[in-house]
Amino acid sequence: MKITGSDVILLAHSTFGVLGILSALWVFVETLNAREENAGRIRRAALLAALCMSATWIVGGYWYVHFYPLDRALILKGPWSWAHTLFMETKEHLFFITLILSFYLPIAARDKLYANAVARKMVLCVAMLIVLSGLAIEGSGAIINHGAKVALLHADAEAAR
Amino acid sequence: MNGDDAKLGRSSAGFAMAAAITVLFSTALAWAKDTYKPLNDFMNALAWHNWITHGLADVILFAGLGLIFSRTDWADRIAPNRLITFLVVAAVMAGAGLFVWYAVF
Repeated sequence: MKITGSDVILLAHSTFGVLGILSALWVFVETLNAREENAGRIRRAALLAALCMSATWIVGGYWYVHFYPLDRALILKGPWSWAHTLFMETKEHLFFITLILSFYLPIAARDKLYANAVARKMVLCVAMLIVLSGLAIEGSGAIINHGAKVALLHADAEAAR
Repeated sequence: MNGDDAKLGRSSAGFAMAAAITVLFSTALAWAKDTYKPLNDFMNALAWHNWITHGLADVILFAGLGLIFSRTDWADRIAPNRLITFLVVAAVMAGAGLFVWYAVF
């Protein structure tokens, strides 16, 4: 079994992304049941979401700049070229929306959520936006990955003819 | 549960406004660099890759606007529910705007 540095970085970036989504979901559920007792936990989970999204930004960014050009060339030659032109292009920019919302979440969670209905509403909305956009980004990642796989299978089938 | 304050904290309101403006700016910048190659080249030269420059610009704008809005009562004067709606609509429009842009162009 050979695992390259590129593989480790790629998997780390999607893992941090999933952990960020789960942290935002954790904030959402805790906020639905906001009490004075879980205020600290909500703030820590919101901070964790921001830290995980920062990690996925740095790790994913490194992979994107250093390793993705090869995958991009492969995908563009294959039958699923739209995996790059539509899904990768959208994903790499949609991520900035998720990132900014993740940076905002710990700030919004600093309010007394247990005593303030609009502050709760703000945190619920932002946490849900992070979860939904994060899932869209993870799904796009799967499509891009499949785009590369389809391109390789297509190239193999062409070579076999 | 205590009675509702029905107001966002000054930082929460200020950075919410900053986040809404930043996500709209981010999508506009993605459109602009896709349309105008010299801008893309400039962003490539600025911080190794246009995507890195784009991310740094977003974070700096968010932090800068957030600090400004938090120190003034500008965002604080907007009704909290209106601010929440603005942020949600901005995020959804910015995300949908990206998908439609790359689907069409």
